[in-house]
Amino acid sequence: MRGYSLTTRLTALFSLTSACVLLGLGVLIFTAMDRHFAVEDYALLRDNMRLVEKTIADNTGSTLPTRLANAYQHHSGLLVYTRGANGQVHYATPDFDFAAALKTSIEASRKHVGDDDVFQWTQDGKTYRGMRATVNAAGERTDVLLGMDTEIHEHFVHAFRRSLVSYVALAVLASGVFGWWAARRGLAPLRAMATRAKVVTGDKLHERMPVEAVPEEVANLAANLNAMLERLQDDFRRLSEFSSDLAHELRTPLTNLMTQTQVALSQPRDAEKYREILASNAEELQRLSRMVSDMLYLAKMEHGLDLPHKETISIAQEAGALFEFYEALAEDKQVALRLQGDGIVEGDRLMLRRALSNLLSNALRHTPQAGAVVVEAHAEGDSVVVAVENDGPEIPAELLSSLFDRFFRGDKSRRRPESDSVGLGLSITRAIMTAHGGGISVQSANGKTRFVLRFPPRNAQA
Amino acid sequence: MKLLVVEDETKTGEYLRQGLTEAGFIVDLVHSGLDGQHMALNESYDLLILDVMLPDIDGWRILQNIRAAGNPVPVLFLTARDSVADRVKGLELGADDYLVKPFAFSELLARVRTLLRRGAAQAPVDRIQIADLVLDLARRRATRAGRRIVLTGKEFALLELLARRRGEVLPRSLIASQVWDMNFDSDSNVIDVAIRRLRAKIDDDFDDKLIQTVRGMGYVLEAPEDLA
Repeated sequence: MRGYSLTTRLTALFSLTSACVLLGLGVLIFTAMDRHFAVEDYALLRDNMRLVEKTIADNTGSTLPTRLANAYQHHSGLLVYTRGANGQVHYATPDFDFAAALKTSIEASRKHVGDDDVFQWTQDGKTYRGMRATVNAAGERTDVLLGMDTEIHEHFVHAFRRSLVSYVALAVLASGVFGWWAARRGLAPLRAMATRAKVVTGDKLHERMPVEAVPEEVANLAANLNAMLERLQDDFRRLSEFSSDLAHELRTPLTNLMTQTQVALSQPRDAEKYREILASNAEELQRLSRMVSDMLYLAKMEHGLDLPHKETISIAQEAGALFEFYEALAEDKQVALRLQGDGIVEGDRLMLRRALSNLLSNALRHTPQAGAVVVEAHAEGDSVVVAVENDGPEIPAELLSSLFDRFFRGDKSRRRPESDSVGLGLSITRAIMTAHGGGISVQSANGKTRFVLRFPPRNAQA
Repeated sequence: MKLLVVEDETKTGEYLRQGLTEAGFIVDLVHSGLDGQHMALNESYDLLILDVMLPDIDGWRILQNIRAAGNPVPVLFLTARDSVADRVKGLELGADDYLVKPFAFSELLARVRTLLRRGAAQAPVDRIQIADLVLDLARRRATRAGRRIVLTGKEFALLELLARRRGEVLPRSLIASQVWDMNFDSDSNVIDVAIRRLRAKIDDDFDDKLIQTVRGMGYVLEAPEDLA
């Protein structure tokens, strides 16, 4: 359900609740009051009934009507009607029609037993309470009927009802206003968060939700949003670094190409010279094109993708194939290639071969003459660990962590690496390991550098 | 051999035509997909080179329509997009090869020749001779001027590749892929070293050098008389 604001809903809810509660209370009070008045009225009637009974008992024969008239004709609130057994009316309050009262009393007496029959009737728009009794005095039966007007209560009840209704209306309004205010206040943290969210843009991703300043119900949401911002900031940073790295790395070769070409064009040269320049340009361009494809490959890896062809791969077999490839280079540098152990992993053959190839190429580049490169694989619990270790100068500890960064080169001053490496090999290897649900680490000590690939258990792979 | 190149990028198209023409092919170049499809269906070609992204109808559609018309001509795709899904789609539709831009022209040329050779029924050869170099493919032996040259398995495979494709400039990536099954951009230093070692065995002691370096492109095996 969308459309009504949270504040509106809460306000309506508050008003409705208070209206229900107050109306219920009103009904309760009215019922109690009505019952109380009835009890009071009947008590009064009963007292008077006693008096009438006493009067009847004390006076017999002809004096009774006079006595009754004397006693009750000035009693304005009380209606009295007595009738002898022979149907003779001893006394009836003048100017009052008792027909309705008698009818109701007879109906009531049919339903009730006992001598204090009480009843209620309506006549000329007024409500009356009545009591009926039969007196046996001096062998004569006399019916007595007493009644009283409840108008005096009605007045009170009317006035009370009026003030109660105004009070309820006022209270509902007040609780509505209060509810609105409470909702506004209660939702203030959300508005604060919205305000904060508004200022978050691409270049202001460091803004965070105020977790400390909001109530605990919202703090969790704020913390989650902050975690999301954290991840976005990280991705964003990587992306912008990626573009600036790329631009930076492209600048140097492009400058070289442009300068070389323009210098070549600035004056006539012989065909051999042109050929020389074009060949050099072609080499530079190939390097550039390889850098672009490596960057794209890395970007694809880092975006996370399913392994295209998953198969079971023997590390020893792959390393063997790679050794054949690097054999000539190794022999040339008089570096020994050694393979120890084996491990079975699951993954994409082309990707894994590329990952290992990067490590081997790297190791060969840094191994001094007569050194050795050792590939060693073994199982460690459920996982498989592959280490590529080479002799060579130690990598300073402070550089180890940035070794896997894009375009990282150990020696910043070296203008051009000795091979056509573009400084993406280790990044690509790490990305491939991540895609396989594994990881890579490096140690460098005692004249040896050791890269360790860790593959997750085979059935638990991503 | 007659080729059709469908490429909407004018400069790329012109360079492809020039390069392929100089490599000895007859080349038709068109810049739109519909023209390409029309030409492919009405003329007879030995190979089509199709750009995937074309302004009117894309390369996939052209291939579908050509195959639907029952034309089995080999097709090589050029694309700037490199995704596994694209590759699979191309191959499912019946493409014969797939090259991602930017590519080296030498790579394209090598692939074109491979595709064209695939079509022609090849008599199984067990002996290749280039000048005084003789390869005995059955016994995996090489001799030059009657002298036995001892080669490792991979050296022989490298020499065999160069010999089978004599006169063709082979890029390093193709050599790495064909000889060592390294189907990615690997350390191309390795190829240079392997070639140098091979040269040491077959060329160093002779005046006529058979293996030539073509700078910026790759390596080629040629008899001196072929060069002239």
